[in-house]
Amino acid sequence: MRILERLWASLDERLGLAPLVEFARHKEVPRHRTSWAYYFGGLTLFFLGIQIVTGILLLLYYRPTAEAAFESVQFIVTRVPFGWLVRSIHSWSANLMILSAFVHMFSVYLLGAYAKPRELTWWSGFALLLLAMGFGFSGYLLPWNELSFFATRIGTDIAGKTPLVGPWLLRFLRGGDDVTGATLTRFFGFHVALLPMLTSGLLALHLLLIQKQGMHVPEGEAREAQRRPPIPFFPNFALREAAVWLGGLALLAVLAAFFPWELGVKADPFAPAPAGIKPEWYFLFMFETLKLLPPHVLGIEGELVGLALFTLGGLVWFLAPVLDRGSRRGVRSRLFLLLGWLALAYLVSFTVLSLAGVFP
Amino acid sequence: MIPRAVLPLAGLVLAATGLSAPRPATLGPPGKAAVDTCLDCHRSLDESRLSQPAEQAAADIHRLQGITCAGCHGGDPTAEDPEAAMNPALGFQGAIAPTAVPALCAGCHSNPAFMLRYAPNIPTDQAAQYATSRHGLALAKGDTRVATCTSCHGAHGVLPADDARSPVYPSRIVETCERCHGDASLMQTYGISGREVADYRQSVHYAALTQKNDLSAPTCNDCHGSHGATPPGVSSVSNVCGTCHLTQRELFDLSPHKEAFASIEQPACEACHGNHAIHAPDDAWIGVGEGQVCGSCHVAEDGGGQVAVQLAAHLGGASRAIAASRERVARAERAGMLMDEALVQLEEAHQALVLARNQVHAAALATLEEETRRVLAAASKADQLAAAAEAEIRFRRTGLVVSLVAILAAMVALALKVRSMER
Amino acid sequence: MAADGTEPTVGRRTLLNWLLGTSLGATLAAALYPVLRFVIPPEVAESPTNRVLAGKLSELPPNTGRVFRFGAKPGILIRTASGEVRAFSAICTHLNCTVQYRPDFQHLWCACHNGHYDLQGKNIAGPPPRPLEAFKVDIAGDDIFVTKGA
Repeated sequence: MRILERLWASLDERLGLAPLVEFARHKEVPRHRTSWAYYFGGLTLFFLGIQIVTGILLLLYYRPTAEAAFESVQFIVTRVPFGWLVRSIHSWSANLMILSAFVHMFSVYLLGAYAKPRELTWWSGFALLLLAMGFGFSGYLLPWNELSFFATRIGTDIAGKTPLVGPWLLRFLRGGDDVTGATLTRFFGFHVALLPMLTSGLLALHLLLIQKQGMHVPEGEAREAQRRPPIPFFPNFALREAAVWLGGLALLAVLAAFFPWELGVKADPFAPAPAGIKPEWYFLFMFETLKLLPPHVLGIEGELVGLALFTLGGLVWFLAPVLDRGSRRGVRSRLFLLLGWLALAYLVSFTVLSLAGVFP
Repeated sequence: MIPRAVLPLAGLVLAATGLSAPRPATLGPPGKAAVDTCLDCHRSLDESRLSQPAEQAAADIHRLQGITCAGCHGGDPTAEDPEAAMNPALGFQGAIAPTAVPALCAGCHSNPAFMLRYAPNIPTDQAAQYATSRHGLALAKGDTRVATCTSCHGAHGVLPADDARSPVYPSRIVETCERCHGDASLMQTYGISGREVADYRQSVHYAALTQKNDLSAPTCNDCHGSHGATPPGVSSVSNVCGTCHLTQRELFDLSPHKEAFASIEQPACEACHGNHAIHAPDDAWIGVGEGQVCGSCHVAEDGGGQVAVQLAAHLGGASRAIAASRERVARAERAGMLMDEALVQLEEAHQALVLARNQVHAAALATLEEETRRVLAAASKADQLAAAAEAEIRFRRTGLVVSLVAILAAMVALALKVRSMER
Repeated sequence: MAADGTEPTVGRRTLLNWLLGTSLGATLAAALYPVLRFVIPPEVAESPTNRVLAGKLSELPPNTGRVFRFGAKPGILIRTASGEVRAFSAICTHLNCTVQYRPDFQHLWCACHNGHYDLQGKNIAGPPPRPLEAFKVDIAGDDIFVTKGA
């Protein structure tokens, strides 16, 4: 113990750590009816941590070439001890991370936490979600199986529809005119280098802003939050969050052991596309909407209209702190609240209906 | 110097002049003609009996080689006047009598020197073979209902035998023979049932020919001969089958059955496998019970019957062992385990079973038992590998339960800790 | 009495801390064990591809053959009397037995039903209905690599 104390003293002397400890000691989390929403950001972070650990482990055996990618994943899940578990957890945790991030985002939006002064936190969070979806899209291709190959072909094709930069974007994403081994190499680079780098920076900013500004209290809960004593962050909230994380871990273990992620059939670029090509579930609402649109709307290609609408919707969502003028004064407009619920209803219904196979 | 383009023309003129000379009534080698008035005229005739041959002749291999109608029918194909063209004095004859057909075709096809000029790769002994065939023998006695050359190859519009449209192409021979041999009332006059072709259509050979498109699978002529078509005699059946099924034939020759069958004039392979309706063999055939092949000679009490029962028991045990292991391995595979080694063992077991089944032909109990022991050993190795995989799956489940208990305990402990702190 | 009243609380707290420590330790162990096992490479240290090292040239004299494995499936490597190296699937197209090289015939032969294949893998006698699937052969120094489906 003496040694630890002396180590701490010498570090504090050089780095001035005492204020940090002081900050942590006084950090508090408001207590009210919607306090549960505070756990989801942390849960997303937990799943990200799992992704980093399992991702690094998979890198020990994975080979990012069209000839060997599928075989190396097959090798991981069949020959490497616990490889099946690591790979399955990586896949499941990716999905749970996105799910948890969506819950986090919608709770933040519906409780009005994006309002001034937290615009930057909202924007960085929005960007982090896009990065997470980028991780999902690029990671989906890496096992180089039939489904992922064709889903990537469709996904990049949609990106190629973007006006002006479309053809360039398509070639940039695919590393050529078609999805080939070059695409795999590229996506691997995005997945393990580019996206992690961007994510680290943005995540640091996101977390720093939360520490700086403290937890947001929703309008309706202000009185209750004042009446009830706040939860000290250390150790009470941290222990509660730890319990939530353990719950996440238990869920992952069950999913990975009982529903091991399938490997599928090795991709054959010359084979006809198999029936039932679907992207990851968090792209399903976009996928199905684009399929439902008529080929031409007002003389413009239907898909293009759809993409424009998604871009517009995303932009409104992103700019909510600015567009919702009342929110700066702490008075949120009913319109934006309604918009949030509508967006949630649209996303959930389309995803569930698509998973249930209602769409043709 | 003569321009090159003129040379072929000159050749044609020479050939034409050669043909325009009167030909002897006995059929010599037919020449070539630049003009063929037979076709021109017959195509425009209303009566289909007369126009059809001309139309069919368009794709005829003989015609494509430059042999005109006159090659078979005689006459003068250059003459415009029908009277002159179909002048009997020039050897013209209309419809050719069935009895005359073999000799007509043989005029060229049995002449090696002549055939060498057109198709050096086809044999020239067809007429000689035909003369020995059931068809040929009957024809020689004046029976005109039997098949002659044209019955199978067609008369006008004859195609090479290796042309897939030809009626004698392997996949079409069945239909061709069936035209007569499927006619039960006609066949009964020769003491044949007429069911042979229908039976053959049930066989593994027909399935291989039509479903696997295996042109080497035997069809009618592979066992009966083509031109010398005749049923293989009792002594030759095993030779006929043995041309492909060599191993079984060799093993059979080692068996006590060979002499026993010969002494009672029982055909070898056919006794158990049948002749036309040859089905995929089954271990269940072996035995002396109802519908089992050994029972036609043996009873359960005699030595042969006892051997049969034991052969069946060994094979049955071996194939059940393989099936059970295969099922177990497949289950482990579906559960996500790598079963390559077990699959290798199963393949080994399968191969040993195939070899064991061969030994049935020698009725060699000891050798068969040795092979089935190999089957059992390999199947049991596969079984052990599957058991190891199952143990691994159980280990994973147990590991999961243990980890879950730890995680849940930690969650409970944390909840209690938080509660005790906030009390 | 006071001592009696505080004693159980302290005991409960100790028990709780013990439970917390043990269960968290167990959870950590449950998470770390697979990770530690994962980082140790398995005995077969390379992921299989559609290309295998089928044999050594020096161990394959002319007019011989040897069977190798492509995962669970057998392949056969042959060296003709004239010294050429070729590779085929060793699965007989008749009933899936494993074929072998017969130096006396100087071609491939299946023991099960006396099926014969020539040095190009073509079925030439006996019951096999189709030729053997041919593989691509690459020779690097003494190593013979065989590629499937190339």
